[in-house]
Amino acid sequence: MAPEGAEKTEAGQIPAVVAEPPKPLILLVLRLLAFLATAAATVVMALNKESKTLVVATIGSTPVTATLTAEFQHTPAFVFFVVANAVASFHNLLVLVLDFCGQKLDYKGLRLLMIPILDMMVIALLSGGATAAAFMSELGKNGNSHARWNKICDKFNTFCDHGGGALIASFIGLGLLLVIAVMSIITLQKLKITTCQAVP
Amino acid sequence: MTKAKRICTLLLRLLALAATIIAIIIMVTSRDSAKILNMKFNAKYSNTPAFKYFVIANAVVSIYSLMVLFLPSKNSLWHLVLVLDVVITMLLTSAISAALAIAYVGKKGNSHAGWLPICGQFPKFCNHVGGALIAGFVAALAYMVLLLYSLHTVVGPFFTVKA
Repeated sequence: MAPEGAEKTEAGQIPAVVAEPPKPLILLVLRLLAFLATAAATVVMALNKESKTLVVATIGSTPVTATLTAEFQHTPAFVFFVVANAVASFHNLLVLVLDFCGQKLDYKGLRLLMIPILDMMVIALLSGGATAAAFMSELGKNGNSHARWNKICDKFNTFCDHGGGALIASFIGLGLLLVIAVMSIITLQKLKITTCQAVP
Repeated sequence: MTKAKRICTLLLRLLALAATIIAIIIMVTSRDSAKILNMKFNAKYSNTPAFKYFVIANAVVSIYSLMVLFLPSKNSLWHLVLVLDVVITMLLTSAISAALAIAYVGKKGNSHAGWLPICGQFPKFCNHVGGALIAGFVAALAYMVLLLYSLHTVVGPFFTVKA
């Protein structure tokens, strides 16, 4: 059955205009959840900071203290994590807005093509950021005896806990985005099959 | 798919297969030893979980590429291949990103955490890891281009303008 709005040209020609099938509600809900997850990960990691005052030495009878801070900017992996999650949440927000009120703002059905492509790129970016931050946190939690790198999580407990929470939220967002992308691809392939079968 | 498109995707997959295999080989053969303060230290790729994950991910991707290369055309499994390509691309980018993060700490250190760089004592190890990272990056790029190309092949016919 031909999708509505398709113009039948001569036999053998593919129709030039295809109307988009109505978006199921579940895709919108999943995308909203993914937006919330990535936004939460961005905010929690961006506000991740902990200071600790330690006694470094004792001169005479007065202790010499030094204040050490743990911030997310100290590690490039965490900076990349924040940037990737910010880009992903912005992308999710944009697609949500487009889905709600964008049926009019369409140019030759370009929206049908651009959203899955943008989804793939954001998935690649987000997976890179999340995994880099995950392995960096593992290094901070367990240290590396071979390279003589000490663990830092025993001193900065709150920093590690917040970072772990942001990581979990980011991975949930990544999984949801993956499900959305796979569902979009399956819909596109089904659409292609019905369109190609409609042409005699 | 037309012949030209099939040859293009085949070439990209071959490139990715070669790049992942090269990355595995270079990473696995990276080892160095140094004598510091009369004690012998070894540096191997298996000391770091990130490099182990890199090797395992590239192994999975190379096996998948090999299997897809032998898939006959016009099989109904090609729909599954497009979906699995997304997952595999995600795996590749995450592996290269994790290995790059740890390699950065090894090269530059992290003064805030008190982690000293180790590339000064183990130059051969660092060079090998750098080579493996470059190969892994080429593989990730090849798979990204392949994914975008496959997506364009699926959705492209929608935008054929009649002559």
